[in-house]
Order: sequence, then structure tokens, then C-alpha cells
Amino acid sequence: MATVSSELAAKVKRCEEFNAEACYHCGVCTAVCPLGYGIMPRKLFRQVMLGLKDKVEEQVPAIYSCLLCRMCESNCPAEVRISENVRALRTLVNNKEL
Amino acid sequence: MALKRRIGVFVCHCGGNISDHVDVEKVVAGVEGEPGVAVARTHMFTCSDSSQQEMIDQIVDEKLDGLVVASCSPKLHMFTFRGMSERAGLNPYQYVHVNLREQCSWAHTDDKGGATEKGIHLVRAGIAKCALTRPLHALRVETQPRALVVGAGIAGMRAALALADMGLAVFLVEREPEAGGWALQAGKMGPEAQHGPDVAARLGSRIAAHDNIMLYTGAELIEKSGSIGDFNVKVRVSDEDVVDLNVGAIVVATGFDTYQPREGEYGWGLDGVVDLKTFRQMMADGKLEHGGKALRDVVFLYCVGSRQSKSEACPAPNTYCSRYCCTAGTFAATTLHALEETLDQTVNQYHLYRDIRTYGHLEMVYEQARREGALFVRWDPENPPVVEQGDDRLCVKTVDTLAGSDTLEIGADLVVLVTGMRPRENDQLNSVLKIPESKDGFYNEIHIKLRPVETVIDGVFIAGASQGPKTLAESVASSLAAVAKAGGLLMKGYVDLEPLIAKIDTDKCTWCDACLKACPYGAIEKTVCGDKEVALVIASMCKGEGGCVPVCPHDAIDIEGFRDDQIRAMIDASLKEAVV
Repeated sequence: MATVSSELAAKVKRCEEFNAEACYHCGVCTAVCPLGYGIMPRKLFRQVMLGLKDKVEEQVPAIYSCLLCRMCESNCPAEVRISENVRALRTLVNNKEL
Repeated sequence: MALKRRIGVFVCHCGGNISDHVDVEKVVAGVEGEPGVAVARTHMFTCSDSSQQEMIDQIVDEKLDGLVVASCSPKLHMFTFRGMSERAGLNPYQYVHVNLREQCSWAHTDDKGGATEKGIHLVRAGIAKCALTRPLHALRVETQPRALVVGAGIAGMRAALALADMGLAVFLVEREPEAGGWALQAGKMGPEAQHGPDVAARLGSRIAAHDNIMLYTGAELIEKSGSIGDFNVKVRVSDEDVVDLNVGAIVVATGFDTYQPREGEYGWGLDGVVDLKTFRQMMADGKLEHGGKALRDVVFLYCVGSRQSKSEACPAPNTYCSRYCCTAGTFAATTLHALEETLDQTVNQYHLYRDIRTYGHLEMVYEQARREGALFVRWDPENPPVVEQGDDRLCVKTVDTLAGSDTLEIGADLVVLVTGMRPRENDQLNSVLKIPESKDGFYNEIHIKLRPVETVIDGVFIAGASQGPKTLAESVASSLAAVAKAGGLLMKGYVDLEPLIAKIDTDKCTWCDACLKACPYGAIEKTVCGDKEVALVIASMCKGEGGCVPVCPHDAIDIEGFRDDQIRAMIDASLKEAVV
């Protein structure tokens, strides 16, 4: 059971760079990720938007492992700025705002 | 047979559909000696323009007075050959169709000899029937230039205006005290944010100003008699008053009902669980609060009352998709988002859906809702969301099937159930109109694609959501389609009906009323002929169904085109041996 929290969501909403709302979960990003992280990137963003703080915290290593190669981004049909989103999350983690 | 007939017999190859399994040349050889046959031959495609022209030439040159075409199902080409007969100057009811494809070649692909033999029997029967045909003429019924529209929702109002603009007199009957239907309660409607009550008011004022429309509110249709082009109806307009109206056509636009959730279904009955209609009203009032608390988290739950499966709790499921709800729900998301900015209040939206079906242009609404931050979480009908009372507010538990199947627990200030459509409960009207219903309880059209607004009752058309779940745009499109059909019928001034109907032999009839009871169309009446009571067939109402024929104890009824002497001759002809 994971409790949805609107606080993290509100924080992310204020964060201009983060734009995962348009995602419709086609899974292309996960399929093309050269690191093969199952979590990356759609599930991670989903957890962020739902404010599943604990789950996101478990993913901090993955957030930093991302190569920012933009393979996912150039294949995303919904034009989600995936690498910018990852960088926005790194900023939130660095500022201990998560 | 008093006179020698001159019958032309044309057997079709249908490319090979028939001739691959039936030896059509042998069929021709087997029937050309039948009494009355003047010409017998085959065609590759009897329905082709060139074959039709050849047949017309032969009908004229050989002075044929009967025609047998042995080809496909009469469903496909009966009207083709009737038209051809008319062009050749032959009465179209002296042409007989034999189905050599569906009822012979396709059915016996494994036995060419047997199929050919059967083909000969079938064509001989057709010839025997043809020999006994007589010229018939369509029944011409004058149509009255007036229409009745039942239901003054947006679809009904729009239909009334369109019919009135054609110059027809229109009676618009509404059961509620006010015209406008569901639009009166819709608030802002997607996708272009028109205000429902305004749309209704605009149509209402045009109707009030139109000389050709008479609107009865608080009124009910209580009786209908007559038939296409000339119906007599009674409308109860108040407790004491009933008006009699005479109309040529009836358009039924009685709309839908909203699904009423069962107690406890997705938390229905808990404080803070509302339907979309209520939430739209809340947004129209511009106040995002419940129980004195500002809304912070709102959960929308889709497919409530739609796409149900049978279960103990739901013994009579609505298996259909209600079409409008996905758009209404996602549009509510964008309305809510706009209101959020106006009120400077943050509201988190969680949309729990099964599948989002914002088809066509409506997809843009869904896209906008997502981009504006509404979160869409897909649930699985095997494991539906649960709405419970939490400590201080509602709690919704659902499994996020698209992202990791986590079970989410969402705290909610308000849960909005996006409910589907139900057919209207309207026993009184249904007992008067007797329009067939589909298994879902909506009115049934004749053909879902090709005859979408006509019913089996000639002159009665259905429009809008009375026929099945529709968006408002679709309802208006269907109501204008019904207007085109009803208007076309009435503007022409007459309608031609099939003459293949029951005929009473008044010498034999003793009026026992058995036929009256057997007729599902109410086409039999008692009349006086000379000094005795006999049955009378109301030609415009008889469908030639034949239910009255076998029940008549005196053998006094025949169906034109399927008379007893014809059927007997067909049986005799088919019993003759055919040598292949």
C-alpha cells in the first residue's frame, strides 16, 4: 500500500521543468533505456506525481544512474522532456526537498 | 390457367458463385419445357447493366408477361429486378425471384448433381408461381403535412425546428414542465464549453417564435392509431384536457436516464460521494468546497454503470459503453483546472478510469486534461477501486495497473462518480408506440448502419439517446437524420406501400374475429358488407405477414403474391421429377 500525497505533487507542479503529465504509459522509454532500469522513466515519474515519497526515495540511485542520453526522449510520442525531468528530480533530491 | 403465359426465365452464374456448384445450363434445359416458358437462358451476372438491358430487350421483343430471375437472395436484388421490369413495361409484381445462391449453390458445395437437381425444382416452382401472378399496383397513401415530435430535449427541439423550417406543422410534446431536457442541468458541456441551459434557452425562444410549432409541456402521448402518413394521436396536456392531433409522421426523441448507483457502489451514499451532474453544478456555482472545507483532492471514478458484467450484486448489467462519460469527465478536469486558477485554489485531480474513450476530436480534451496536471490511473475491473470513509475524509484504494501495480491509497475530499446512461423508463409511451427495444432497453432501429433512424413501424422515427448512448452532438445529428426521413416522407405528399397484403373473400368470411386476434399490426377491422359482418384489411397497416391466413376457419384470406393457389402450384411443380 502506498499513500498518495499531494504535497510532493504540489512541489513538482511548481517545478517548471517537470512535464511528465502528458505521459500515457506506452512504455517506449523503458524499452529503449540502455541501462535497463525497469523503473525508468515512466514509473518513476508516475510515483513522483502521485507523491509516493518512499517509493521515489528508493529510486534515488536510479535517478543518478541515468546517462541523460535522451534515447527515451527522442522516442517519446507524447514529447515528455524526460532528461529534463530527471535533472529536475536531481535538483529536488539535492535540495532535500523530496 | 386460362391464358397462355409468356414467361422469361433467366438463370445467373453469379460469376461462379452459383455455376461452380450448380450446372446452370442443365437448369435451363430442365425448365425450358415448363408450361408458359417462352425464353430460358443464362447470364454471367444478371444484375449487370448489360444483362439487364438484354433482358429488357427480350421482355419487349418476345412480349413477355412474366419473369423469373434465378440468382442470389431477393434481399440483395429484388428491387433491382423490379425496377428493371418496370423499365421494360412489365408489371414488377409479375416478376418472381428464385434464390439459387444462398439456398442452393452455397448450401450444397459438395454435391453438384444434387444441387443442380434442386436448382431445377426451385426454378420450376418459381415458374409455376409466376404463371399465376397478376399485375399489382403499389398502394398510394396521402401523407398529412404535420409531424409529432415526442420529447423536447435538445434533440427533440432541434428536430421540431428543422421540420418546421421545411414548412411542416410540428407538435412538440414534452412530459416535463419545461423544455430543454438534460441540458438544463448540464452546466458547461464539452468540448467547447457551451452552457447547457443557454443552449436550451436559445432553441426554446426560436421555438416560441416559430409559427409552425406548437409546444405542449407537462404533456403525454396517450394514444396512437392510423398508419404512415396519417396517424391520429391523443396527447394529454393537463389533468382534464386531451387534444386530438392528426400527423403524418412521428419522431421519438425521448432521451436517456442517468445511471443511479446502488447503495454502497463505489461508496455511493457516503458523505462526499457525488455524481458528475452534482459536481458540474458545484463548478457552475463557482464554489469548490464540501462540508465547509475547501476541496484539495478530488477523485473521479469512470465507467460507473457502464460496461458492467453480470454478478450477484448486478444481475442486470449495462454491458454497453455510455460514450459521453469519458469526454464529460476529462472536460470536467479542464473546467476544474480553469476554476482553480480563477479561485487561486489548488485542487489535485485523480481520474480513475478503465479505458479512456475520447474518440475523434475529443481526444484533445483528454490531452489538455493530462497536460494541465490531472492524473489518470487505470484500474482493472477484476480489482476495482474501493471508496471508504477514512478518519477525516474519504479514502480511495486502487491498483495502478499501468505503473508497477502499486496499490494506491488516495485521500479525497470529494469522490465524483462519472455515471453512464440508462434507457428511460417510460411504460406509458412504450405501450402506445410499441417500438421494439434492444436487449439493453433502448429503442431499436431497423439497421444500425443503413437505416439508423427508421423503426419497423412505418412513419415512426427514433432520434438521439432514446436509441442508445450518444453525446449531444451525435444526438442532434441523429435527430436531423430522423427529420430528413420524416420530412422527405411528408414533403413528397404521398407514400407508396407494398401491395403484397391480405385480401378477404367476403363471400366466405363470417366474422369470427380469429384474424383480428392473430394480427400483430392491428390491420383488421370489422365492417358490414351487404347484410353481413365481415373482416376488412386496412391496407396501409397490413404488412403481408400472413398470421391471419392459417387461423381463418373458412379459408377466406389470401396474401397477395403468396396466394394458396400459387403455393399449391409451386409444390406441384417442385414434386415433378428432375433428371440431371
